[in-house]
Amino acid sequence: MRRSLAATVFGIALLAVAIPAHAFKLGIIAFQMSSETHARVANAAAAAAKARGWEVQILNSEGSLPKHAEQIEAMIQAKVDGLIIAMGKPVEADAQLAAAKQAGIPVITAVAGASPHTLFDIQVNDYEVGAQAALYLLSKLNYRGNILIERYENNVASRIRGKVLDVVLSENSAIKVLGSHSMARTQSWQEDVRSGMQALILQNQGKFQGIWASFDGQAYVIDDLLRAQGLKKGDVVLVSIDGGPESNRRIKDPDSLLTATYAIPFEKIGEKAVDAMDQIVVKKTPREKIVNGPVLYVEATLVDATTVDQISK
Amino acid sequence: MTGEVGFSALVARYGTAFAAFFVFCVFAVAAPNFLSATNLLNVLKQISFLAILGIGFSLALITAELDLSFANVCSFAAVVVGGLIHRGTAPALAIAAGILVGCLAGIANGVLVTRLKIPSLIATLAMASVANGLAFAVTGGVAFVGRWDPSFLAIGRGAVLAIPALVLWMAAAALLATLLLTQTRLGLHLVFTGEATEAARLAGIDIRSMKLLGLALSGFSAGLVAVLLTAHLNSAAPNMAGDFLLTAIAAVLLGMTVFEPGRCNVAGTLLGAAMIGVLGNGLVLMGAPYYLQDIMLGVILVASVSVSASTIKKAAFGI
Repeated sequence: MRRSLAATVFGIALLAVAIPAHAFKLGIIAFQMSSETHARVANAAAAAAKARGWEVQILNSEGSLPKHAEQIEAMIQAKVDGLIIAMGKPVEADAQLAAAKQAGIPVITAVAGASPHTLFDIQVNDYEVGAQAALYLLSKLNYRGNILIERYENNVASRIRGKVLDVVLSENSAIKVLGSHSMARTQSWQEDVRSGMQALILQNQGKFQGIWASFDGQAYVIDDLLRAQGLKKGDVVLVSIDGGPESNRRIKDPDSLLTATYAIPFEKIGEKAVDAMDQIVVKKTPREKIVNGPVLYVEATLVDATTVDQISK
Repeated sequence: MTGEVGFSALVARYGTAFAAFFVFCVFAVAAPNFLSATNLLNVLKQISFLAILGIGFSLALITAELDLSFANVCSFAAVVVGGLIHRGTAPALAIAAGILVGCLAGIANGVLVTRLKIPSLIATLAMASVANGLAFAVTGGVAFVGRWDPSFLAIGRGAVLAIPALVLWMAAAALLATLLLTQTRLGLHLVFTGEATEAARLAGIDIRSMKLLGLALSGFSAGLVAVLLTAHLNSAAPNMAGDFLLTAIAAVLLGMTVFEPGRCNVAGTLLGAAMIGVLGNGLVLMGAPYYLQDIMLGVILVASVSVSASTIKKAAFGI
């Protein structure tokens, strides 16, 4: 009897050793993978999860709210162990996030906004970054002169940056806005920015000293336009927000007019989301030890001629 | 010989249905949790928007007119509904306004096509652009979101006897469209207008009114989906239905390869929508990479349509 009991215990122990531990299954939903920033967060999170030996599945909502909601529902059915949503829409997907919580699936959102159904959101404070970028531009112009503006109203982050710029401008009356273009198209947005800004640049040739762009992709198009006009580095101060290797390259390039950007650490945001998931869900660290409140803020970094070499390393 | 003809006819009529059944079986075996009741109800819920928009598109296509504006009209109608609900308007009034917007856009399309003789491809593309602009004008790019009246949200989130309301709306739309097309003189006139326009005109059918009606019904479907979508997502954004343009047309094209090959038919559209929904859901459950869904959808669409099209050609022209 004792022998058979010992054999059973031994057998169970052997089985426990022989059967590999269940790999953590992480779902990642990016709201629009065609947007570089969304892809940077999602891909960085996927890489960080794979480095931990986790099973990872990335979904792309392709910028569609109904599809976004469907994909959260599908991830619940797929019984993922955790879910990271990059640039999602927690208010619109409130019912689906509530269902995920009810199913016991922990959710961390990145640059999306907090929800009562998620652990927390990781983001840069876009109000702060918007103010920093606006003040950088104005300080470079010595708080006087004329500027052009390229906006994008259909994205919450770029819209906030634009609104903060307006607040900063309202306090600095020696800066005059000669023209403002708002990007409307999303699929062919480069052409939209190109045609809109080309018209403003030609109309105001030689009259403006600065340009503010709501995100770096727009600034690249404007930079190329300015160069095509024969302008040289320093002729116009071009400031934007987002950062990344291409921004660093342009800021270092003596022919480029891109003066500065506030780099948002999208990769770091993705990695932090995975790290937090690991700590809270796998290692059972209390959530409060990772973050207090509904949002974990990360800092944006100024990239200009004085910092670009160090940041590029 | 007879056997060959019989097999060809079977492929032409049910080829897509067999393909859909095969895809379903593959997922049933390979995709964990695919066959759970919750998941299958989720799939039905998810395809409801696609199916209703597809049925609307079919009703226009049956009269030989294209409606490429339905997705943008739907987005515009959604921000009208969402905007009104957001401002505290009575849900019934907001719903009526959303459906009215859809109908008016459809009627405007009909007038452009039948009175001004603008090809529907161009007229409805222009309408899509206008609707898109109006949706942004209403919202300024910012979505309407909030804690809305639960009685309104129940339209898109509720359930009757555990069946999601969206599934019931889809079933009702399919039933009404089938009854219209098969059981009423008006439906026969719609079909006749698209299939033999000149003969229909000679038979005394008011062709222009039929085409206008087809496009108006497509607009009505867009308005109805706008209401359902807004209630389901508790929000309204200016481009929220844009994604449905291609998938709804794909559902209709898939549907045209089955049951009544070469013809728009409601049952086929439902099957097409179900196939697209099952494909998306099954691939997610199997852990497939996100880009594979688009690739697979394209491949299945081309394969399905090309196989059936060649069979249809063979049956019709003996080529």
